[in-house]
Amino acid sequence: MSARDPGMGHSITRTMLAAVLAVVVVGAGATWWQVVDAQRLTSSPDDAANIAAGRRVVRGVIRDRDGRTLAASRRDENGEPYRVYPGEAMSGVIGYASRRYGSAGIERTFDAELTGVRDPDPIQDILDHLDPSRRTKGNELHTSLSLPLQRLAVAQLGKDAGAIVMLDPRTGEVLVDASTPTYDPNLIADPTADPDYFASLREDPAAPLLPRATLGLYTPGSVFKIVTAIAALGSGAITPETRYAEQPPAEKTGLLVDGYRVRDGHHDFTQPEPLALAEATEVSCNIFYALAGLATGGAELVAWAASLGFGAPIPYDLPTETSQVTDGSGNAPGGFVDRVELANAAYGQGEVIVTPIQMALVAAAVANDGVIMRPRVVTAVVSPDGSVSPRPAEVWLRPFGLDVARPVREAMTLAVEGEYGPLFTSGAKVPGVLTAGKSGTAEIGGDGEPHSWFIGFAPADDPQVAIAVVVENGGSGASRAAPIAGRMMRAFFAQAAK
Amino acid sequence: MTAAAAVAPRGLARIRPRLRRREAVLLVLVYVVLAVGGLSLGMTRTGEATVAGWQLLVTYGLALAFVHLAQTLAGRRTDQVLLPAVGMLGGLGLLVMIRLPQDLVTQDVGSLELGLAELQTLWLCLGLGVVGVLAVAVRSDTWLRMYKYTWAFAGLALLALTFVFGIDQGGARLTLVVGPFSGQPSELLKVILVVFLAGYLAEYRPLLASERTTLGPVRLPPLPYLAPMLAMVALGMGVVVVQRDLGAALLFYVVFLAMLYIATGRAAWVGLGVALGAIAAVALFLAFPHVRDRVSVWLDPFADPLGAGFQIVQALHAFARGGLFGVGLGAGLPEIAGRLPVPAVHTDFPLAAIGEEMGLATVLGVLGLYLVVLERGLRIAAAAADPFRTLLAAGLALVVGVQALVIAGGDLRIIPLTGITLPFVSYGGSSILANALVAGLLLALSDRGIEPPPPPRTRGPIMRALRGRGT
Repeated sequence: MSARDPGMGHSITRTMLAAVLAVVVVGAGATWWQVVDAQRLTSSPDDAANIAAGRRVVRGVIRDRDGRTLAASRRDENGEPYRVYPGEAMSGVIGYASRRYGSAGIERTFDAELTGVRDPDPIQDILDHLDPSRRTKGNELHTSLSLPLQRLAVAQLGKDAGAIVMLDPRTGEVLVDASTPTYDPNLIADPTADPDYFASLREDPAAPLLPRATLGLYTPGSVFKIVTAIAALGSGAITPETRYAEQPPAEKTGLLVDGYRVRDGHHDFTQPEPLALAEATEVSCNIFYALAGLATGGAELVAWAASLGFGAPIPYDLPTETSQVTDGSGNAPGGFVDRVELANAAYGQGEVIVTPIQMALVAAAVANDGVIMRPRVVTAVVSPDGSVSPRPAEVWLRPFGLDVARPVREAMTLAVEGEYGPLFTSGAKVPGVLTAGKSGTAEIGGDGEPHSWFIGFAPADDPQVAIAVVVENGGSGASRAAPIAGRMMRAFFAQAAK
Repeated sequence: MTAAAAVAPRGLARIRPRLRRREAVLLVLVYVVLAVGGLSLGMTRTGEATVAGWQLLVTYGLALAFVHLAQTLAGRRTDQVLLPAVGMLGGLGLLVMIRLPQDLVTQDVGSLELGLAELQTLWLCLGLGVVGVLAVAVRSDTWLRMYKYTWAFAGLALLALTFVFGIDQGGARLTLVVGPFSGQPSELLKVILVVFLAGYLAEYRPLLASERTTLGPVRLPPLPYLAPMLAMVALGMGVVVVQRDLGAALLFYVVFLAMLYIATGRAAWVGLGVALGAIAAVALFLAFPHVRDRVSVWLDPFADPLGAGFQIVQALHAFARGGLFGVGLGAGLPEIAGRLPVPAVHTDFPLAAIGEEMGLATVLGVLGLYLVVLERGLRIAAAAADPFRTLLAAGLALVVGVQALVIAGGDLRIIPLTGITLPFVSYGGSSILANALVAGLLLALSDRGIEPPPPPRTRGPIMRALRGRGT
């Protein structure tokens, strides 16, 4: 003892205290994963226990709106079930469920229902958890999707990458949720298929595994003018009669905003009269919308977009990306950098990026008099014993009233049915049906061809269907997206007539 | 005096058996836990009241009893809590190895093909042999004390050998193969490092604790003595660069800082060390993609749950499935396509297996056991006769405690995951034997009957060389 000087006892005690503290932190970590966050992890489709149960349990069938099979189960030679799908068209929305690669799409978000891990009946749910061996068969899903319309959508997009969303604005039922390029889910789910297929999909630069309709983010171009129109009318910044005297001369020289010139000049035939909302929408006047956006102000534009669902994921049956009006990096109202960015955003350029489903919901909002129904694919969960748990229509947002809906609807109708409108929306009109819509040609910078956009609905006086189409690098809105939308809506009415 | 005692050799006549009641009681507790665990696993497996792997559990129990008896008969007055604590950890690890698929590791020994649990039993018994021999036979520390530079060079040689002859496994050069034997040198290196540091710090601590340099507001010891510290940072980074072994680097560095703090009592040293370590960490992060990958997986493993994040995500799911009391031994770890959900569960993630099948309660118990080992080690350090023994005991205990915290923290996503073992629990000969070395030395050091230390030397060879003349 004598050889030891007194200093070390103290530092040893402190070292021990530090160790106790470290063990408390690690113990708290264990408590977090094992108790606090355990529920989320154990009900996830990535959980090994759920994947293992999925090998035993026969997943429920997924059906389209007319009862056609979108996903079914077969057994391999070992008696273990695996999934089969009717081709590639539904790959972006239904996804896949594979023993080896996990799951995606509706197969993933409704994994608990499809494997019976979660039962729509709460009492049954508790019984199932007490005795997991009770579960041998999952629940069936009924969806609002239409297999023929979805196949048509994929065929229309052809070799191009893009997305089409088509829904019933009155109920929020989604009929088409198509993304291209597609992939063959059968080659992922089939246990005997080539294992290189999935790896090649993951590495493919065209990103076929990306469901563009919900997770794709695009510059919208002129289809965003509908959002600006709603914000400008809703905030009282303009009326349907507002005209800007500086608009006609600016068509030639460009509109000077803080030293930057907003260019237009693609509708010489309207000079020299100033345009009001409906005519400006018909000829897709950038100058009018830049002025309307500046009059509305950045904060109001962002707030009105948020009331339409921008700025947060959409409560859809699939995960969605967040659409934005600006990246919020600036200090001007709403997060814009300056008035130039605001003026560009007002006609869908600047830092505006959107998902196709968000733009379909903008069209649906106008069609449904300012009421946005929660979009959904799954309309009912049917248990193995046949009992049906419907997922009814519900209102998601009520951003505006008839005072806004009516003039915007008239403007969009003029854009398809008017004298000049068809120059920009050729082919969107459904013969014999009053059609409303707006095309967009989204400049993406660099040498790339612009993205071709169209959003719309029909019949304009009694809307039954709303649509958004985007074709990546498809050129002008009129050249690709508008005719696709027209053919899709035509097919919808042809089918409804049957 | 009886005739038998009269013929006994002179040396042995002085050794009197001494009862170790506390150790015996605690060991019985270990046996109860092992028996209940084996029974639970057997019932899950067969549905009947059988003990799974009973031959292995009995073998292990006998080896523990042997170490207890050897110390009792030798009359050593060594610590009585350390062996049961280490024995419990080893036993829980063995239960996990019995429960896991046996073909995770196989080795042919002659005509026998041994599986995971059999090999682990073999390693544990060899390890307990090491513990027993050290606890009974080591009665002097001169062989550690006098040759610290020899040990340091041995460590560096080991590192160099690994660099030249090492085999890359999973992106890390951790394994050294010599003839039929293979091992992970960093496990042995950590013990050598502690021996060297104890010797170095014991000799220079009066100088290191003085304040002769001021750096702005920071008062530091004389600058020449910063050299070993910088050398340690370099060694840590060398381990990362050469072996790509982040866990060992972190372990070495934290143990070094803790020993430096214990030796000098100066928090400024720790502050400076943490700052230097942080700079080194940033440099490594920028320079090496594998370090960046580790960090990004740590920050968001769920970003790529099927790719880079697979192992940690599956481990977190395993912890979550376990809940408070676990799903029961043998009832968890659902296999997907015949494979365990958590890759490398037997080496890197035994804690996840324990968490799933025996619950949060057992995980906290395991963490508590490491705290017990650390507390006993630091208690031995505080009671030691001179600075060298204090630092040696503290360093040995810290090596076990810090390693457990580094891998447990990695398993639970508190810090980035590193591929080091959970001491006494993980599968592996190098790990078990190196940690047995630590436990055995700690036991030997805990005996008050150990030979008194030599008279302290105030100046070592480096000091003499620096001053250009001998003393």
